[in-house]
Amino acid sequence: MAHPSQLGFQDAASPLMEELLHFHDHALMIVILISTMVLYIILAMVTAKLTDKLVLDSQEIEIIWTVLPAIILILIALPSLRISYLMDEINDPHLTIKAMGHQWYWSYEYTDYEDLGFDSYMTPTQDLTPGQFRLLEADHRMVTPVESPIRVLISAEDVLHSWAIPALGVKVDAVPGRLNQTTFIISRPGVFFGQCSEICGANHSFMPIVVEAVPLQHFENWSSLMIEEA
Amino acid sequence: MSLPKPVMRGLLAKRLKFHLPIAFALSLGAAIAFKYMVTEPRKKAYADFYKQYDAVKEFNAMREAGIFESVRPSGE
Repeated sequence: MAHPSQLGFQDAASPLMEELLHFHDHALMIVILISTMVLYIILAMVTAKLTDKLVLDSQEIEIIWTVLPAIILILIALPSLRISYLMDEINDPHLTIKAMGHQWYWSYEYTDYEDLGFDSYMTPTQDLTPGQFRLLEADHRMVTPVESPIRVLISAEDVLHSWAIPALGVKVDAVPGRLNQTTFIISRPGVFFGQCSEICGANHSFMPIVVEAVPLQHFENWSSLMIEEA
Repeated sequence: MSLPKPVMRGLLAKRLKFHLPIAFALSLGAAIAFKYMVTEPRKKAYADFYKQYDAVKEFNAMREAGIFESVRPSGE
């Protein structure tokens, strides 16, 4: 989760989010380059007491300030397209989970082998135990195996929602009547938080997503236990 | 006795010729500084983190701390 007053991205927990971080750094470097130049030129112009009343046109500068921005745009577009295609690669998921958005909770279905399904409601603030995070904890977490490609199919039962987990670089709209797909690999074990990212009514801010990544053996034990309890 | 004629033309162009290279140099410098103070250290930090990362050890430490709900600490 984010720590208080955090401005930047959360630490990446998936290879895709790492790529997004590095691309953001690249794009921000270009933004800083352009902004520094513009700021300096503004200051130089504002402090000048001189004006050339007879400046009409200049082919040279027109060429420069057309070609340079085109080059800069290509430098941004190439890594961007690379990541875009990387996200769409077929990577043979080991597990498929369905995440359904409701007003105002998520439900998860693991139906690859047995029928396992459960709802995930936010833990109310008054029920939190010490160490838990306000507005982020849920009563049932979506448990996944670590370092395995996972496919999540996302839809909604009523209105638009969005299934998002910043640390994994995932944000997918949950649209009623439509099935959206995303795949990711969680690089390290841990607990990762997200929040509904599409306005969906009064409790839009109170339907968090919690993903728990554990080694495969523990994931299998958990899913067997959940099926027995159901 | 006459004074030398002062320069009366090209003053703005002269100012631009002085300031534009500085603008380019500053902006390139800022970009290079950002690259080597932020971008490269971040890439290195991630590479170093995963080079020495022991997922099993970290998982067990997290498990014993009780942060997982699917896996309780080994004492429970």
